[in-house]
Amino acid sequence: MGEMVLSNRTSAAAHSEVDDEVTQYLTFAVSDERLAMSIDAVKEIIETPAVTRVPMTPDYIRGVINLRGSVVPVIDLGARLGRGPVVLTKRSCIVLVEVHVGDEAHVLGMLVDEVKNILEIAREDIKPPPEFGSEIRTDFIEAMGRVDEVFVIILSVDHVLSMQELAALRRLSQEAALGGADGES
Amino acid sequence: MSLDSAREAFLAEVAELLQSMEDALLALEDDPKDPESLNEVFRAMHTIKGTGGVFGYDSIVDFTHTVETLMDQVRSGQVPLTRPLIAALFECRDHTARLVEAIVEASTPEAPLDPELARAGDALLAQLSPSGKAARATAPSTAAPSAADPKYLPVVSDLWMITLKFKHDTFRDGMDPLSFLRYLGSLGDLVHVTTLLDPEATREDGFDPESCYLHFGIGFRGEVDKPTLAGVFEFADQDCEIRILEPDTAQSKYLELLAAVPDDQVGWIGDLLLRIGALTQGELDRALETQAAESGEASDGEEAERKRRIGEILIEQGSIKPAVVEQAARTQEAVRTRRQEEAHFIRVDAQRLGHLIDLIGELVTSSAAIRVLVKRAGVEDMNEVIDGVEYLVSEIRDNALQLRMVPIGESLSRFKRVVRDASRELSKEIELVITGGETELDKTVVEKMIDPLTHLIRNAIDHGIETPEVRRSHGKPSQGTVRINAYHDSGHIVVEIADDGAGLDAERIRAKAEAVGLVKSDDVLTREETLRLIFAAGLSTKEQATNLSGRGVGMDVVRRNIEALRGTVELDSHLGEGTLVTIVLPLTLAIIDGFLVSAGPDQYVIPLAQVAECVEMGAASGIKRHGEHYINLRGEVLPFIRLTELFENADPRRRAGRRESLVVVRFGHHKMGLVVDALLGELQTVIKPLGKVFERLRGVAGATILGTGDIALILDVAELAAIAEGQRDSAGKRPVVT
Repeated sequence: MGEMVLSNRTSAAAHSEVDDEVTQYLTFAVSDERLAMSIDAVKEIIETPAVTRVPMTPDYIRGVINLRGSVVPVIDLGARLGRGPVVLTKRSCIVLVEVHVGDEAHVLGMLVDEVKNILEIAREDIKPPPEFGSEIRTDFIEAMGRVDEVFVIILSVDHVLSMQELAALRRLSQEAALGGADGES
Repeated sequence: MSLDSAREAFLAEVAELLQSMEDALLALEDDPKDPESLNEVFRAMHTIKGTGGVFGYDSIVDFTHTVETLMDQVRSGQVPLTRPLIAALFECRDHTARLVEAIVEASTPEAPLDPELARAGDALLAQLSPSGKAARATAPSTAAPSAADPKYLPVVSDLWMITLKFKHDTFRDGMDPLSFLRYLGSLGDLVHVTTLLDPEATREDGFDPESCYLHFGIGFRGEVDKPTLAGVFEFADQDCEIRILEPDTAQSKYLELLAAVPDDQVGWIGDLLLRIGALTQGELDRALETQAAESGEASDGEEAERKRRIGEILIEQGSIKPAVVEQAARTQEAVRTRRQEEAHFIRVDAQRLGHLIDLIGELVTSSAAIRVLVKRAGVEDMNEVIDGVEYLVSEIRDNALQLRMVPIGESLSRFKRVVRDASRELSKEIELVITGGETELDKTVVEKMIDPLTHLIRNAIDHGIETPEVRRSHGKPSQGTVRINAYHDSGHIVVEIADDGAGLDAERIRAKAEAVGLVKSDDVLTREETLRLIFAAGLSTKEQATNLSGRGVGMDVVRRNIEALRGTVELDSHLGEGTLVTIVLPLTLAIIDGFLVSAGPDQYVIPLAQVAECVEMGAASGIKRHGEHYINLRGEVLPFIRLTELFENADPRRRAGRRESLVVVRFGHHKMGLVVDALLGELQTVIKPLGKVFERLRGVAGATILGTGDIALILDVAELAAIAEGQRDSAGKRPVVT
């Protein structure tokens, strides 16, 4: 089903800004905006399979998919970045990312409108994020990368896919209600 | 087997021995003269000493030796077993556990012992001596055989003959033959050591540098008894043929040899005697001829009964002394029973079992996928085959899960100690009664429920049961009782923890809950609801709990732990009469029987054990709506939830007014209706965790992969009921518990 498996570069050197002049980024589109993220965390990119909705969750949780027998949560990146849920098309993809919490590794899917390409951005073209003026939460932006004189937002995987924040499942009014007058069931 | 796994085996053995020592000590508290229990304590210390010695853990040897010596004196009646002494022995047991842990964790056996631990050990040993003097013996060379014990033969000559034939796999199993010799050297003098090579080693093609070809003949002098020497090599008995001979008369030599014959070489009694050199081939042949001649006279059918035992003939023949034959017969018998016992139980690594169960989970999913494909392809002929496969798969599943089932009693017995220690500390008299210990459930569930159970039992002891004076003043017997009862109920295990203590004061809980803002002063709560407030997080700190006549220490943690196991916990209490906590848990966390339903575009699984009945909702079904949230099912009023409403996933294409179905579910003592779009039937459900993102999601217990490859979520009925109630509550309606 047209999978594109990326070599998972985990070596610290690949990420190190001292040793390496160039870092690789995966770029993709969400609501017509081109975004990038370090390729180190990306495990795999798949076409969107059937996504099973999980009830009583906020809209940034798109649901769960069956990834070769495992149940993997899918985050709707459009909703997560405040751009509205991703509308499924032929081009929409799920980017599978490994997120670490303590010693445990968790695989999450990230639903995007379209995966573009892999870019190499030189270190001198990486600039700090703007302090204001961005529509995206500033802590979600790790840096800005200059590509052909245009700036691309480089997302901070740790913040966008913060397990703690995702698992809060905020919007859940039931959670608040239960947290308070707990006990009856 | 590497050295590490040898250590692991040592740790496991120690844990087991200490557990049986504890059980024995508890039994001795009731009957200080029980010889079985006395032996058990002795044996535990003795074996730990022996194995510890093999590894060179001197501090373990020193400590356990002193305890062992004392136990030997107790056994022979020289030292009376008083209550303080039992208490000290309990502490010795705990100290041994700490010692073993500290030492095995240290990198090398030679690493110096934590001085604090050593001091604690010495202090304990001092307690063991009735006169208060330090009873510490300079272990273990003074381990003189107790004269009062007639079981051990006295040492006549001062040289022991020890033959060690290490097997080829010794090195590969992580054993070092030298360590045994070194330890032996610490017990006495190795007067002479002859090293022999296994003839295999000299074969030109056969030499393997990783194999062990060493045999040792050792002349040993030391003031030790036979069991002590045997204990030196106890840990090697898998890897070594060991013979320890007292150079006494020939007869005692034969007796020893007989006892040392390896199991797999025990066959016919004649062969056995031949092997040890007590009999010559000629003598045996003659006896066999006699036997054959005698049985020839009897008819064939009765041959077995008529045939005289070869041993009798040998004795008659004057070839051998009766005592030797008796010993040979005993050896034969012992091996037979041991073989039978071994055939009953196999120890299996829990991880391997877990892997097997995972694989069977995949198999269940795959066979469901085949069923879907065959249906789609319309191959009628295959249906029968698939029925067969599915039947087999479900049998395999049940059997595999059964493998991991353990009786809960094994884990509950540890609470005897908890109750004993805590009641002493608090000067209360408490008896723990365990019933239903034979009830079985998945080992993984047992492990996870121990913590919450400990909590509940501690609560019962700390805050439930009153002091003897208070109890007497209330007209209760001065001894309080904590009962643990376990039983199976519709695919679940129920564990009840009951005490006859002070009970909970609902009014004070209410007051406290209002004070911390959990409930408003005008909220109307039933007594049951009020009691349940102590499971809420706000009432859980220790200080508040004490204000509340006791309970509530970490009760929210208990509830969370139980709910994480897809279980429920309920509580009932009457002031002055006691408290009953009921925990209901699923029997396994891996695979369950489920009932598949659809609601909106999605499919959901309800645990089959919780499904009471399914009814089509229609005019003829006898179901009447009874207000907005209740239905009347044949006169029974039930609350209900329409899944598509709760999940906000109604399928807009579905025609309004299409027939729906009602699934009546039960949880705890409650019943509820779930209104779904369609009933899709039973299925074997392999539970897949939803992962960390959803760990705080309520109402969904997990997911499963259907034969089509789609995912269906597994519903948690009790939590759904709570959520629906919460919504109704926030919509301004009074909560009603069914």
